[in-house]
Amino acid sequence: MPKTNTKVVIELANLSKRYDDDAGIYDALKSVYLVIKEGEFLAIMGPSGSGKSTLMNIIGLLDRPSKGDYTLDGVDTNLLNHKELAGLRRDKIGFIFQVFNLLPRLTILQNVEMPLVYKRVPAKVRKKRVEEVLSMVGILDKINNRPNRISGGQAQRAAIARALVNNPSIILADEPTGNLDTKTGAEIMELLKHLNKKGVTIVVVTHNPEVSAYADRTVVVRDGHLKITEVK
Amino acid sequence: MIWQDIKTALQSIRSAKMRSFLTALGVAIGVFAVLVMVGVGDGVKAQVGGQVSSLGTNVLTIASGKIGQSSTARNGQQQRSAGISLGSSLGASTLTQQDAQTARQTSDVVDVATLSIISSSITRGTLNSSTAFVTATDSSYFSIRSTKLANGNFFTNEDNKNSSYVAVIGSATKDNVFGDQDPIGKTITMRGKEFKIIGVTAKVDGGLSFGAASDDIVYIPTNTATELIGKNDIYRIIVQVNDAGNVASVKSSLDQSIKANHMGSDDFSVLSQEELLGAFDSILNILTTFVVAIAAISLIVGGIGIMNIMLVTVTERTREIGIRKALGATFGDIMGQFMTESIIISLIGGLLGLGLSYIAGFVIKRLTGITPIYSIKALLVAIGVSLFVGVVFGTAPALKAAKKSPIQALKSL
Repeated sequence: MPKTNTKVVIELANLSKRYDDDAGIYDALKSVYLVIKEGEFLAIMGPSGSGKSTLMNIIGLLDRPSKGDYTLDGVDTNLLNHKELAGLRRDKIGFIFQVFNLLPRLTILQNVEMPLVYKRVPAKVRKKRVEEVLSMVGILDKINNRPNRISGGQAQRAAIARALVNNPSIILADEPTGNLDTKTGAEIMELLKHLNKKGVTIVVVTHNPEVSAYADRTVVVRDGHLKITEVK
Repeated sequence: MIWQDIKTALQSIRSAKMRSFLTALGVAIGVFAVLVMVGVGDGVKAQVGGQVSSLGTNVLTIASGKIGQSSTARNGQQQRSAGISLGSSLGASTLTQQDAQTARQTSDVVDVATLSIISSSITRGTLNSSTAFVTATDSSYFSIRSTKLANGNFFTNEDNKNSSYVAVIGSATKDNVFGDQDPIGKTITMRGKEFKIIGVTAKVDGGLSFGAASDDIVYIPTNTATELIGKNDIYRIIVQVNDAGNVASVKSSLDQSIKANHMGSDDFSVLSQEELLGAFDSILNILTTFVVAIAAISLIVGGIGIMNIMLVTVTERTREIGIRKALGATFGDIMGQFMTESIIISLIGGLLGLGLSYIAGFVIKRLTGITPIYSIKALLVAIGVSLFVGVVFGTAPALKAAKKSPIQALKSL
């Protein structure tokens, strides 16, 4: 599917990550180049230990590269301090995890509104926005439930709503169907595809070809290198 | 954000009710101990103060030893410090009947009474009371102190002159020895001699004096006491001045004339009520400070309890911290969340301790007759101290939480 919009959201240039600890020196990523454009649906594949998690952590601003440049929405992230990185995570990135990572003590409303809380958005505005994204993912009726009272599929929908709530530049999904049965997993992927069609940029990290099949483009990480770039 | 932090903290506290309560209890006990000690200290001070000032502002007390007016020359300046020199105020008295006579002859002096302490137990048949404070004094003592009678009469100057074996007893002594019987005309035995009871003093509310309740007391005439034990060690001489305005001049005149009696030796004190009170206060302050310092240790222990439980909480919630950081929480956001939680636990403890100390106040009043005084200051201290404890002992756990790497935190189970 040709994209008419060609704005670059993420640009990685000559990016490397080296771990240097008691276990010795280990190069998780070796000189990676990657450009992700607005509205793309990208799949990052690779076996475990390939470096795909490291790549996702760096894109998600949870980790920093040892070498090279990462530009997010035109901002050189190498120049940012911890507080500014936290601000970017809050405003520009939406995370979806394999295990949902909803906080069990909080209601769905409280879970989904969290990025807005850290942005100091007033409670009334937060609630309105949460209702909006919850109806987008189809679980508005669960707004006052706690995560243990809803199904896995609904929990992942809530996590997607939380990732969407701040209108991020990109949504990072790490094995989003890993803890779901096939049917529910397919429903979640359909939801992500649907959101992508509405313009949300999505990067999904997976080893599952059924998941990567939903993407426009797949890149494979192997031994720290980005090996193949396949465009559908 | 503070409101959000409080909401989050309350949610977390509610999710571990028992643990939070026990942690708060540690602080509660500390705050309780400090408040009760300060309250009792202030209560005793007020009671002694009330008792001393009930003597009136026109009364001087002459005591053996140097009390509350030591002056030292330092850097060319005269410095005065209040307090009691124990070495000079305990032991054999330096006061004599001659000093009392000198006081009687001083102009502007209305009346003088000597006070001696007799060590004796009281027996009546098989009943025995060793708690009563046996005091030898003059009939004028009752008028100077405006003592009230419940029953009978005081002894008179005639009784003193004749060394009559009569006694006036306090209401508590009467209850101890006679129970519901009317003691007037009956006898008690002290040091092998029978004394006829001629009067019972009215109950003094919550009285506290020299460690013994002032209701558990036996007054006998001075001369009778001298005859009984062969000597008369004067503990105090009470001097009533005709007008409060003349107290200062009488005091300096007594200072000189009694010093002359003592061959120029400065081994006595002439004290106004304020000075007497000052000496009591300074002793009580030292005691109160000491006891409060001990109580404060339990507050530190309570604080350590908070730190301990917060460290556990942070470890248990590592994953939550990772999630919150991934969603955009800054170092400050996480720090604030955990600080708020420890401060709230500590505050709950502080308020609990405040409540407990008020309840204890009633119990202490019932059991000891001392009314602990809790001022608005105590309330502020309780809140302030528990805030302080929450901040001090919450900082390390909150720092630990805020410093966690989001990746490591997300990986934890």
